[in-house]
Amino acid sequence: MASTNQCVASMARLNLSYSTRRPAISTIPNFLLPSVATPQIRHASGSGGGGMRKRPEKPKKQYKLFRSYDQSEQQKFSLCDAMRYLRAFEVGKPPSGAKYEVHVKLRTEKAGPVVRNRIRFPYPVSSDTRIAVICPEDSPVAAEALQLGAVVAGQESLFESIKNGHFAFNKLICHTESEDALKKANVGKLLGPKGLMPNKRHGTITSDLKKTINDMVGTDEYRERNGVVQLAIGQLGFTPQMVADNLKVVMERMKKDMDAIVDNGHTKHLDEVVLSSTHGPSFSLNGKFNPTEDNVTVEQLQSTM
Amino acid sequence: MVGVLRRMHALREKILWIRHGPGAAVLPPNVTRIHLEFAKRINGGHMGPRKFWQENLPRLKFWNPQVPMIVNRCDDTERPATLTLYFRDDGAPAKIEGTQLSSAADGTSTAPAPSQGERTVVLDIKGLHSEKILEEFMAKTSATNVQLTPQEEMELRELEDLRKRGEIDRKVTKKMIDEKKREKARLALAMSEAAANKASAL
Repeated sequence: MASTNQCVASMARLNLSYSTRRPAISTIPNFLLPSVATPQIRHASGSGGGGMRKRPEKPKKQYKLFRSYDQSEQQKFSLCDAMRYLRAFEVGKPPSGAKYEVHVKLRTEKAGPVVRNRIRFPYPVSSDTRIAVICPEDSPVAAEALQLGAVVAGQESLFESIKNGHFAFNKLICHTESEDALKKANVGKLLGPKGLMPNKRHGTITSDLKKTINDMVGTDEYRERNGVVQLAIGQLGFTPQMVADNLKVVMERMKKDMDAIVDNGHTKHLDEVVLSSTHGPSFSLNGKFNPTEDNVTVEQLQSTM
Repeated sequence: MVGVLRRMHALREKILWIRHGPGAAVLPPNVTRIHLEFAKRINGGHMGPRKFWQENLPRLKFWNPQVPMIVNRCDDTERPATLTLYFRDDGAPAKIEGTQLSSAADGTSTAPAPSQGERTVVLDIKGLHSEKILEEFMAKTSATNVQLTPQEEMELRELEDLRKRGEIDRKVTKKMIDEKKREKARLALAMSEAAANKASAL
């Protein structure tokens, strides 16, 4: 368009002495104008190369933090409201098959320390902890382990059953006396993927069986993955108050973990807390407890499903 | 975690689904509990009861959170499918004797006998369509349907518009993708032919 105007202007200047009438060229559409009528305007920058200059490719931007979203428009729910919906979505499901779970999104670096800890709930969520102890066969240690509530205690027999793929347990502890035997037994490939391999750092290779087993029973582990900590915080039959108590304990413990990481110079802050259940959708929580809708009370949400 | 808007969009649909539709009704206070029993497999007329559980019972539970709704699913399709309604007409608070059962998927939560002052209505629902079951349920309990609020109506309309828009967009995108695929296939064919020609020329 600009070039046409310039052309018209220059032609008008040419005709100035002969006539003051505007040329009829303006009635012709731009795209029908002959190319000679629109002389190319060359600029200094384009004179050297001809064609498009190749720009050096920009390196792709690397984000250090996990993405966090603007939550200003998000609908948030009080705990009782969310539970009312979830109870409705879970109606008729056997209580053993469904749980409340919480997803805590953190504003955190992609690389760096993660939040990871064990927690003991005021109202235990998982009732099913079966512990096996690797210790010398038929020793007093084995007897002690069985007395403390381990389902299996032994060494060769346990390795044999692991190699056969029989896992009668979902937690595995190794006594320090059997540490070498565990290394020789070559079962890391079987246990590792299930997260069962005993390890000194996690405290599962130990000489104090009593303390370790007591810690393990009724405790749950949580761990941050992709900037989100997800864990089950209640059975389906829990009342709102029970879920709230469990949730409070989780948040307090997690706050301590996060503070410790922040003190070491990393970014780790709370972003969002979401409540969901095994078969239900997820509800972002606003930190309040009471139901907001009329004619719904906390008592109504305490009845059996 | 999935983005906020995408999550909220999915949630809005589900919330509207559970708040409204067949089964969104408030039960009168004399209904104390509901028991539903059917088989896990649909053979022999257990399809309707299952659909009633999946589609209508969540809505009923949402509007009547205080009413226990127990579902007992068993393995045996020969067994009858029943819907048991428990009423208490004397206006006393709903007190249930013994421990209240919870739902089961192994057939162990059979319908309990009515406690003192309770009466039951047992519906045989084997072979019935879920709509028919709901109809009978509504007639027996005289529940009142929940009406949409103007805002919810608007939201429903919005979602419907969005769904239609999505259909159009899906078609446009499919056309584009198909065209790209065809172009790629043509190019691959030409390349292979050229390679074959070159090989034969040598």
